[in-house]
Amino acid sequence: MNYGPILFLGIFLTVASSWCGLVLIPHLQFGRQQPVKIEETGELYPQSRPGIAQQGMAVYQANGCIYCHTQQVRAEHFGADIARNWGQRRTVARDYIFDKPVMLGTMRTGPDLTNIGLRQNSVTWHLQHLYTPVITSKGSIMPPFRFLFEQRKIGAKPSPDAVPLPKEYAPEPGYEIIPKAEAKALVQYLLSLKASAPLPETR
Amino acid sequence: MNAASPSILAALSPSDNEELAQRRAVLAEIDASCRGPLLFLFSGSIIWLLVGTVFALLASLKLHNPEYLANYSWLTFGRVRPAHLNAVIYGFASEAAIGVTLWLMCRLCRTPLLFGWIINAAGVFWNLGVTIGVVAILAGDSTGIEWLEIPPYATPILFVSYALIAVWGVITFRFRREKHLYVSQWYLLAALFWFPWIYSAAQILLVLDPVRGTVQAAVNWWFAHNVLGLWFTPIGLASIYYFIPKVLGKPVYNYSLSVLGFWSLALFYNWNGMHHLVGGPMPAWLITVSIVASVMMTIPVITVGINHHLTMWGSFRELKTSPVLRFMVFGGMSYTLTSLHGIALALRSVSEVTHFTHSTIAHSHQGMYAFFTMVMFGAIYYIMPRVLQVDWPSARLIRVHFWAVAIGILLYVFPLIVGGTLEGMAMTNPDVPFVDAVKPSVVSLTLPYLKTRSYSGMLIFLGHLAFAISFGWIVLRWAQAGRLARLKTSLARV
Amino acid sequence: MSVLWILFVCSLVVLPGIALLAFRWAMRQGEFRHLEKTALSIFDDDEPVGQTTDCFPGGQRGKKPAPTRPPNPISRPRLPEA
Ligand code: HEC
Repeated sequence: MNYGPILFLGIFLTVASSWCGLVLIPHLQFGRQQPVKIEETGELYPQSRPGIAQQGMAVYQANGCIYCHTQQVRAEHFGADIARNWGQRRTVARDYIFDKPVMLGTMRTGPDLTNIGLRQNSVTWHLQHLYTPVITSKGSIMPPFRFLFEQRKIGAKPSPDAVPLPKEYAPEPGYEIIPKAEAKALVQYLLSLKASAPLPETR
Repeated sequence: MNAASPSILAALSPSDNEELAQRRAVLAEIDASCRGPLLFLFSGSIIWLLVGTVFALLASLKLHNPEYLANYSWLTFGRVRPAHLNAVIYGFASEAAIGVTLWLMCRLCRTPLLFGWIINAAGVFWNLGVTIGVVAILAGDSTGIEWLEIPPYATPILFVSYALIAVWGVITFRFRREKHLYVSQWYLLAALFWFPWIYSAAQILLVLDPVRGTVQAAVNWWFAHNVLGLWFTPIGLASIYYFIPKVLGKPVYNYSLSVLGFWSLALFYNWNGMHHLVGGPMPAWLITVSIVASVMMTIPVITVGINHHLTMWGSFRELKTSPVLRFMVFGGMSYTLTSLHGIALALRSVSEVTHFTHSTIAHSHQGMYAFFTMVMFGAIYYIMPRVLQVDWPSARLIRVHFWAVAIGILLYVFPLIVGGTLEGMAMTNPDVPFVDAVKPSVVSLTLPYLKTRSYSGMLIFLGHLAFAISFGWIVLRWAQAGRLARLKTSLARV
Repeated sequence: MSVLWILFVCSLVVLPGIALLAFRWAMRQGEFRHLEKTALSIFDDDEPVGQTTDCFPGGQRGKKPAPTRPPNPISRPRLPEA
């Protein structure tokens, strides 16, 4: 058994080496990327999110949207991500440099959300969808997030914030559904999700 | 009565043969020294098993029935699911793994468990940490990082606990009486060494001082895959390598092969993680490296497979009489299957279809449950009667447990692999709508499989109940036996 | 990112250091000699090779009929009667 000693030494090295290989080198290679100037628009991309969208990200995180939704678009001929209109290009490491944590996700029980802010930019749509997903998407198995809303007695006049709802989902007469701050922030976060700027590395 | 029948009881009941009784006393002393800590760890792990199974059932039901208990924020799918994962991984599986590791270490080192209070303290901290973690997840305080959801105020508690266990491991190893290291000890020592390394590296780089961008994803999957490969798998395999030969009374088929299996596992497994990111926003080389390493995993898998199946060869009849063997063999076979399946899933062309679908979930349950959990069940069935010096109260409960979880997990894994693959094929075909009111869609296609999973979950829950009852009962029996013995001695004194 | 460098040093210096020590120790212990013999180290006089050590509860007390096949002297030597 003289290959034993070699293996024995190898083992401890490999744990360390896998760490270097899979963590350290990636970090050195693309862990310090900076935003770049997009030629077409002259703007820097990506930009960090405005505060309210950042709060919305915390709501996304707390309620585990990541267990059903990914935020990554695979390349043109790998899967049908682009054919399904989940993005115009694949996503690359630079798209995520301001995300903490990065929520790439591993499950697509629901559609990819990388570009949901481009695909669906109506606040009302999102509020209705979060309140009860089947209002906007028949056949959906996304859980309703009604606890992000509150039911209030209508005051002197209806609140401008109230979510318009179809009759079968509306509360009893005299009441209205108002999104809580979390729901509003979450929608702002969803609207901020777009990764379409033509980066040099995606051309 | 057949004199040759297997001998838990022969080992337990004081023999007339003085000399034999004395020799048995060494093993019995070791076993008895583990009693307190193991009772604590196993009780904790079984409570977490039940809690985790309830969360699992809730999550499964909610997935095809989204209105079920939908109005409570802390019971929303996105919180119940990570609560399930953390309860079963850190609560049940790790705690059971630690318990089994302790006992195996004591037995293999042939030394009684020293400093039991270290383990008890570690157990208290561990349960405290996991409880705070799971409650925090339900309250919406998750870190949002898969497998590391427990928030940073609970992880230090887990660390303290883990440090205590590692210290204990070193002490026990230091005081060992058996010179030769059996292959199981390689695995156990390696696991005790690897886990804190990967866990702390991941905590530091993801939570304390996060690295930038998708490097986080790399760290995340380096960790999450290594928890399976460098923590649960070694402990599971260490158990198989000990219990199958031990129960059969037959040395392992080829020992050198087992050593090769160990080193090749250590060599390749820790490079595997990035296959969770195939097609993702990462440089291609990173993922290719992991795919290559995943394919190399055939070496350890085949060596372990050969050893395990050929040790069993010719002894399959024992499956009828030995519950421990049933669980172990089921686990061992699942290990071979799940590993080969995992290797296939890592390939780019397969991953293109199955990535992001329920077949990944099926695969992870095949590994964590059909392999690891079954092995832990078997180990606990072997250990408890020896530690408590009373036999299991009911063969029927053990049978119910075995069949319920065995059928349950098969009913879980195989339909869901099929369903997930179909889901993936539909998802990669842009002509199938993702969701639709009437037309068949990606979502509607998965529903029958998701429902099947809920039924299988109920069956598994039933099995767990049988197990918990058995466990409670044997502890009760032991307590009663103790009381009886005390009564006898006090009567004798009178 | 200084943490990274600390971890880097750990992985390149401390771990191989431990590895080397462990390796030297294992060599001195003769861990790599007599491998096949080690396979027997889990057995002893109490629980020798050839003796099975597990059965369903009650299997021995005669509640369930004992296995009908004749005892195989190789795989199951006689135990001293309890
Ligand atoms: C149980 C899995 C599940 C969870 C958890 C979940 N979703 Fe969904 N989601 C779906 C499914 C399935 C769809 C597709 C049907 C639909 O539109 O409702 C979907 C669709 C969506 C869409 C519309 C996408 C599109 O392309 O039209 C958005 C936006 C969305 N989800 C946001 C969220 C947010 C935000 C959360 C967390 C608060 C969340 N989802 C949690 C399953 C889930």
